[in-house]
Amino acid sequence: MRGTHSFDKKVEEMKPSKRLIELPHWRRAKRLVTKLRSREARRSSGHYHGRVKADWKILHKSDINWVIMDYLVSEGYPGAAEKFAQETSLPSPVDSESIRERVQIRNAIHAGRIEEAIEMINEIEYEILDRDHHLHFHLLQLQLIEIIRTILNKPGGNPQGNDFYPAIRFATEQLAPRAPTDPTYLKALERTMALLIFPMEKMTQEFKELLDVKLRQKVANDVNRAILENRGEQSEAKIRQLIRARTWAESEARAAKVDLPSSILLGLGSDERMTTTGNEGDAMVS
Amino acid sequence: MTNPYAGSGGPPSFSSTSAGPGGDRHLRRPSYATVAAGTGTASHRASASERSAVASAGALALAARGEQQPQAVNMLSRPHSRSMDMGEQGGQRPGSGWRGNRMGCLVHEDHPPFFVPSYLGRSRHVARLYREHRRHLEELQELARQEPIPPPQPSLSTSSSNVNLHKLHTAHAHHHRGPVQDIIERLPPPSEEDKNLPLPSAWSEEDKQPGLEIQSEGTEVRFTGNCKTSDEAASIRSDHPMPKECGIYYYEITILSRGKDGMVGIGFSTKRASLNRLPGWEQESWAYHGDDGYCFACTASGKAYGPRFASNDVIGCGINFRTGEAFFTKNGVYLGVAFNNIKGDRLYPSVGMKKPNEHLRVNFGRTPFVFDIDRMMEQERRIVMAEIRQTDVTPIYPSGDESALTQALVAQYLAHEGYVETAKALSRESWEREQSIRGVSQPYQPPDSDDDVHAINRQKIRKSILDGDIDRALKYTSSYYPHVLEEERNRDIYFRLKCRKFIEMMRRYAELVAATSSPQLVTKSIDSLASNGHPQQMIEDGQNEEAEDDEDGDDTQMELDDQLHREATTTKNLSAVATDDIDMDASQELTRSQTLRKGAFMKKEDLQAAALAYGRELQMEFGSSGDVRPEIKKELQDLGAIWAYDNPADSPIAGMLDKGRRVLIAEEVNGAILVSLGKPSSAALDTLCAQTEALLDDTASKSGGAAAFVQVFGDLLAP
Repeated sequence: MRGTHSFDKKVEEMKPSKRLIELPHWRRAKRLVTKLRSREARRSSGHYHGRVKADWKILHKSDINWVIMDYLVSEGYPGAAEKFAQETSLPSPVDSESIRERVQIRNAIHAGRIEEAIEMINEIEYEILDRDHHLHFHLLQLQLIEIIRTILNKPGGNPQGNDFYPAIRFATEQLAPRAPTDPTYLKALERTMALLIFPMEKMTQEFKELLDVKLRQKVANDVNRAILENRGEQSEAKIRQLIRARTWAESEARAAKVDLPSSILLGLGSDERMTTTGNEGDAMVS
Repeated sequence: MTNPYAGSGGPPSFSSTSAGPGGDRHLRRPSYATVAAGTGTASHRASASERSAVASAGALALAARGEQQPQAVNMLSRPHSRSMDMGEQGGQRPGSGWRGNRMGCLVHEDHPPFFVPSYLGRSRHVARLYREHRRHLEELQELARQEPIPPPQPSLSTSSSNVNLHKLHTAHAHHHRGPVQDIIERLPPPSEEDKNLPLPSAWSEEDKQPGLEIQSEGTEVRFTGNCKTSDEAASIRSDHPMPKECGIYYYEITILSRGKDGMVGIGFSTKRASLNRLPGWEQESWAYHGDDGYCFACTASGKAYGPRFASNDVIGCGINFRTGEAFFTKNGVYLGVAFNNIKGDRLYPSVGMKKPNEHLRVNFGRTPFVFDIDRMMEQERRIVMAEIRQTDVTPIYPSGDESALTQALVAQYLAHEGYVETAKALSRESWEREQSIRGVSQPYQPPDSDDDVHAINRQKIRKSILDGDIDRALKYTSSYYPHVLEEERNRDIYFRLKCRKFIEMMRRYAELVAATSSPQLVTKSIDSLASNGHPQQMIEDGQNEEAEDDEDGDDTQMELDDQLHREATTTKNLSAVATDDIDMDASQELTRSQTLRKGAFMKKEDLQAAALAYGRELQMEFGSSGDVRPEIKKELQDLGAIWAYDNPADSPIAGMLDKGRRVLIAEEVNGAILVSLGKPSSAALDTLCAQTEALLDDTASKSGGAAAFVQVFGDLLAP
């Protein structure tokens, strides 16, 4: 068994389920007081302190649930978000329709149906693409790549000159006019068009990346973020910053030479930290 | 478990309560006040049957200490309201209105007040100081429990608490913006060897050069002596050093009066710097001088820094422990970095002066600052948050795939907490997404595992506890996981679960009290009930409210009804009395309101008796064995304290009844079951939060710095 380092004990004390928040965060306190006031007004009750404090505790624990809900909503899992609301009695996502819209757009991009995705984006948030030229260009570039992909994957192999025509037309009509506005656009356009010249088997990594589905994922994420931002919502799930903060805090602590166990595990199981430091088995001894 | 002041628990006193003026249902029962005043004569109105109930229930520890309990509880509530008073007054005029209020700490009279400068409102360090302070108060409460102190104010009237309630509102309303400080409570006795030193709060009486006179609660200092040589001066330091754990520390000095060409130095120094010269000139001291506007770092030769300053100027001095920079402000204007490489080791705010009648006032954050330090704090926080945003997760997740780690954490959390349906939906939706990327479509096959069954079981148990149905939770637990609660290490959890059942009964009771004695009713005597429609409406309102608060109220009621049958022998007497009373009062035609009213009334009485009996059971099971641990004893006592209030929901101990407490116990039971299944007791995401907070805390304590500006619960989790 793992020896108990004083740090582990401290972590144990700080677990959300056990730790009670005592110092008010004022914004929260204000919200609470307003909430309580309206409820309490009916009961015309005295003695606030006990109630306010107790409510902090509830909010505090449900903070974690909130983070989960935030993740499900912003990363687009409408079904899970709904179930989660039911199971935790958190308020349901304000507008699960809007989550579904985002999911549809994401799925369309993932599936390579870029034109459809652009139409949907223009339908729900028409001003995004007008304003965010970068995003628009990346979508169009992806669309060009998808056109080229279908040409390259054409059954029977070896596409003929005529087969490239749709790609060239799309490039000249949609992308070429934008290229002069930004040097990076020009470079990207050149690179994309080069896909038409190289035979598949001779392509370098640089070009393979363009045809990798990860690019679809990246663009889909960018679109999702842009829509969230445009709606005045947090552009990314809180949990991501939390995870980074955990990583950051450990490196800060180690830099400050805080007395720590040699490795700190999350308890996620097999795929975390495969003895990165090189001292095998250390985690068990520490 | 007793009700020695039996009053309004029973029917006779109901009429006495209802005869009172409208709105006084918050009043503690009259007999309580008498007891608190130290002249308690037990149960002057108690009926014979109640008296016997009291006698038989005397087993619970409270019985022995009945008279002291309410007093102790009251002690707890008083400092709160008092502190809010201070918060308001302090906000208007520095140094006024907080001496003379000695209620915060009856033992340590000379505490400086505990206050939180607005810019440190989220500081983890200050939160820790506050926690320590709370602990100290609890010790005092314990002390008072053992040895009652006569109340300093004979009237423990509720009117004052209503006033405070109002003030609390306004206080909060003012707090959302602007640097308004918050005096929370008084500080525990400061001790130098303590690891967590309090914030600077006043000038030190000891750490000063003779000739300096401290005024106005330690916030003002005046030079009354004379300096013989041009080199000589008189300096003073604050009572506590600037804590690097805060990230930034800042204070302001108002020059109330400066002698002609007088030299005033404002800055900071260690204890080693001598006090017979101005700060800045000495080793280990740094300061900004008013006569020439120069700043001096441990040497007599300074460099040009800012403007000169004179009477009525407000000079601020701050250290940013993240960057190691010290800066000054004049009348709210930032003057730039004065010193670099400041290492935060026990640096005390310090001022020095030379001419007679020079007079300075310090603000350590008890009143709003002239400079917008809150904004600077926020900017620092943003810088740190941006740095965090750039962090790569590879060190904690070798693949470095942030999305995968996120997903793993969420999935593990859902499984761990037993949110089965969500987990299923999420797994399905992620699978669909995966398919859409790959461009293939296969029929979805839900994963099938043993864990699922456990998750469902655990969810049932959790739901029962969250619904307040402890019996059901116990039943489920013992049938699904027969030995978990019997294990020695889980004995406390079992105990708390049993206590929670009692609390749920009292909760129910409190709801009934609220439903039967709401203000409208108090103003109308019972016999007017049948002749108008209001009471009926009132009761319905009350029930709606219950339904809103507690969706499963009916279940709880049914469970309690069951129990009532079991307790029939004990309760027979009481319910008979209750019924008679009602029938007499409402002898007119039977309306629905009457039926409702009677129903509620009977239940209330029965419930009380049932709770009483159950409390006795608890005491038998846990309290009477030879070696009762103090925690258990205290818990039982606290439970007993509920009886001291006519309406527990409106008492200072209402927190105990709060539904939020259910979450805590549900967590504990869930954790115990998971451990018995060979799994970690908490979700990885919980662990991650806790680790982050602990890491930040340790780092901030060790080196100050960036970690001080981020708080998991305030910054990373807050909506």
